[in-house]
Amino acid sequence: MASEPILRVSGISLRKGRAILLEDISFTLERGRFYGLLGPNGAGKSSLLKILYRAETANAGKVELDGRPVHAWGRRVYAAKVGALVQEKVSLSGMSLLEVVELGLLPLALPSREVRERANDALRMIDLAHRAGEDAAHLSGGEQQRLFFAQLLALDPDIYLLDEPNNHLDLHFQYKLLDIVKRRQRTVLASFHDIGLAVRYCDEVMLLDGGRLVGQGEMARVLDRRSLAKTYRVAGTFEAGRLEISGPI
Amino acid sequence: MFALVVMALLLAGLAGVFWGTADLTWDDRFKALFRLPDAKPALQLIVWEWRLPRVLMVALVGAALTLAGLLMQALLRNPLADPYLLGLSSGASAAAAAAIIWLPGVFVSVIGLPVLAFGGAMLAFLVALGLSFSPGRNLDRLMLILSGTAVSLFFQSITAFFLHIAEPHVTQQALQWLMGSAAGTKWPDLLPLAVTLPLLAIVAFLCAPMLDAVLLGDERATALGVPVGLLRIGFFSAAALLTGLAVAAAGIVSFVGLIVPHLARLLIGATHRWLIPLALLIGAIVLVLVDLLCRTVLAPQELPLGVLLALFAAPPFIIILRRMRRGV
Repeated sequence: MASEPILRVSGISLRKGRAILLEDISFTLERGRFYGLLGPNGAGKSSLLKILYRAETANAGKVELDGRPVHAWGRRVYAAKVGALVQEKVSLSGMSLLEVVELGLLPLALPSREVRERANDALRMIDLAHRAGEDAAHLSGGEQQRLFFAQLLALDPDIYLLDEPNNHLDLHFQYKLLDIVKRRQRTVLASFHDIGLAVRYCDEVMLLDGGRLVGQGEMARVLDRRSLAKTYRVAGTFEAGRLEISGPI
Repeated sequence: MFALVVMALLLAGLAGVFWGTADLTWDDRFKALFRLPDAKPALQLIVWEWRLPRVLMVALVGAALTLAGLLMQALLRNPLADPYLLGLSSGASAAAAAAIIWLPGVFVSVIGLPVLAFGGAMLAFLVALGLSFSPGRNLDRLMLILSGTAVSLFFQSITAFFLHIAEPHVTQQALQWLMGSAAGTKWPDLLPLAVTLPLLAIVAFLCAPMLDAVLLGDERATALGVPVGLLRIGFFSAAALLTGLAVAAAGIVSFVGLIVPHLARLLIGATHRWLIPLALLIGAIVLVLVDLLCRTVLAPQELPLGVLLALFAAPPFIIILRRMRRGV
């Protein structure tokens, strides 16, 4: 497949008061590739994703989807093309699992029958179809994460933004859900803490540190001994898809 | 379920209109209600000039406060939010107390106490909103609650000050107004709420999925394409308008806006498409019944709406709180 840019980020900066969360970030996502967003705590991964799903506005720089600046897209149309799995704690109550997943289809104006079908399909993918009518208040953390994942799977946008998709998930679902996303061959930008999991899915990674983009490319190239020491502050090597860590620095 | 609730509302309305006319047959009553030619003129007068406007007014006030409370609870994701959270009731009280105590009677009767109270409510709302607003950023939920509380306290002390320095009989008059009553409602008084409430209820109904999305969290709602900031400002203003009009019409009626949305949620769930119409109906029923009690418990004396409501609303509120704590 010829490389075709879908999302272009140029010179993004984000400040909150005196804190600099992101500084001069630029990259381009190509259609159909799986990108990993790596970096230690507080590197700016979530902030960057927030700008891309429009929960934050950058102080400088611009983001273009399909060659058009983000703010020129209507919120709903943009949300239909760029879907996000968000890290945000809420207590759900009074809504059934099915209703929550159906809300994921809000950006698309679909007939209610199709909404129900898609939501039910998605519930089957996360193995919660048998509990579709239950109150979502009773879900565990991992089940809630699966439910929000199902919203995204039902929507099936052009770009998946996943903020720590494996949060709270058990091993089975860590692999199962990301395998589904990978199979769909959409453009994905996902932040990971688990390097081993990132290896399995990412075509390319971006390494953030202190709000700056310090490396981009194939994992083996980005995660060398030096960058592991500098950004992650561990002594280790990344070779042949395996991370060997001897300890913290 | 909806058919049942609508029936209940009609029954409550009928009771509200006809209670205390015990020695008459239903035949006579309906004749008066439908203004048939052979109706008893005295009864027709009572029904049409006194009872009906009053019952309709409390129904409107109940529904308006419920919608306002529901919107506040959804948009703040806070089960304890109510229509008066942003200082509206204390703003209205301060304005009304000041008017009753200070302004010349002629002035008050020309402008009308309701208009002055409405003005006070809106002023308090704008101050609370202004305090929590910072340019270029979305409204912070906690800031809004805090500034609403601050504004409430401020206007409460102003009201207390006014009541403290006033003559006892004037204070009595002001207190009576504050505690709420729909007695003496005339048909034209109904107009502001009768126009505003249906319009805003329809808007809220159409925005129901977006309100649902806000329940999933601000960021999630934003990622789903919901303009959360705009939605908040818009519906806070709507809630303030409804509350201000309700206060102007019937004084400070507490608890309806806090309890009824919870009651409706327990019955039908949090999805707003169903919740909004059901809660509106229940709100209307509750206030019609409470108003009926106010009129009859100590007849011929009238009790203020606020007093009975608080008495009846406190127990269910405690039950709801306990259930929420247990996560049922």
